[in-house]
Amino acid sequence: MTTPGIAIAAWGVVTGVAMVKVGMSVPLALLMTIVVFAGSAQLAVLPLLVSGAPLPIVWVTALLVNLRFVIFAAAMRTYFSQLTWKQRLFAGYLNGDVGFALFLMRFGGTPERGTTFQWGYFFGTATVNWMSWQLASIAGILLGGLAPTAWGLELAAVLALISVVVPMLNRVPVLLGVVVTAVLSVATIHIPLKLGLVISVLAGVIAAVVVEPRRVDAPTDVQRAA
Amino acid sequence: MNATHNVAYVLVAIAGLTIVTIVTRSSFFMLPARINLPQRVERALRYAPACALTAIVVPKIFVPNDQLFFSVQNNQMWAALAAAAVFAKTRNMMVMMAVGMAVFTVLRLYA
Repeated sequence: MTTPGIAIAAWGVVTGVAMVKVGMSVPLALLMTIVVFAGSAQLAVLPLLVSGAPLPIVWVTALLVNLRFVIFAAAMRTYFSQLTWKQRLFAGYLNGDVGFALFLMRFGGTPERGTTFQWGYFFGTATVNWMSWQLASIAGILLGGLAPTAWGLELAAVLALISVVVPMLNRVPVLLGVVVTAVLSVATIHIPLKLGLVISVLAGVIAAVVVEPRRVDAPTDVQRAA
Repeated sequence: MNATHNVAYVLVAIAGLTIVTIVTRSSFFMLPARINLPQRVERALRYAPACALTAIVVPKIFVPNDQLFFSVQNNQMWAALAAAAVFAKTRNMMVMMAVGMAVFTVLRLYA
């Protein structure tokens, strides 16, 4: 399996185990992971579901955790603008963190947007990522009680994601952006409703832009990492 | 009482969460093609992947169990740093995972 596949699978297992560990029944956990398909949002709302929080609170929490996907969609929309609205809706649904990172590493600086090759690459990787996620989270749900202690799994998931980020960190702007995001993501942890996540991402992106060279056609850092 | 045993409640929650996934991920994809974002914004957005992944990973390391844990005794931190350094050098995922888990285990048992 590829690096992104392993990273997604590790998070899938962590999410699957977490759902059954809080006491959710296996059929509901399976349904949730198969249709919701958003690990960080699922993990964020689990304690709320256990305590029976009002549904609007549950949904708003997920919405805020998922706000980064709005940023992703803005970054990728020009590659998909020639597809039908149904295809765009479907592409969006499949566009998770790791797949998005891979796509932009590869095509971030290409002047042609929306080539057949790009669509093929996107839907190909998205399908593999979707299957990695589903198989891993289903395994996590079914093996929940038997899974090794949580620390080992969570650490494996953290390390796997680090391996996706490290290749991008080869220039000053992106490095600064990541440092700013890292500091703020911890500093804002007590802001309600997980708002700190999107605040720290926005601040990191802005920090990177502020220090980047001004030439408009210069290749970006993310691209060079590809 | 664990509210996840209330099937109707969880089903409605799941339906809403699915809509949230679709709406956030598809958001800008649904904008008509003739509308363009400012070029500066387009360029800025290329930094989003690295920042977003960082914002997910870093709190997992430094804020376990909702408590800030910024200390030399944070074994996950040393494991993550070692793994990141190994991956930067080798680009080998299996080696980096093995090193990270080994550092964590050794510190947990002996430090």
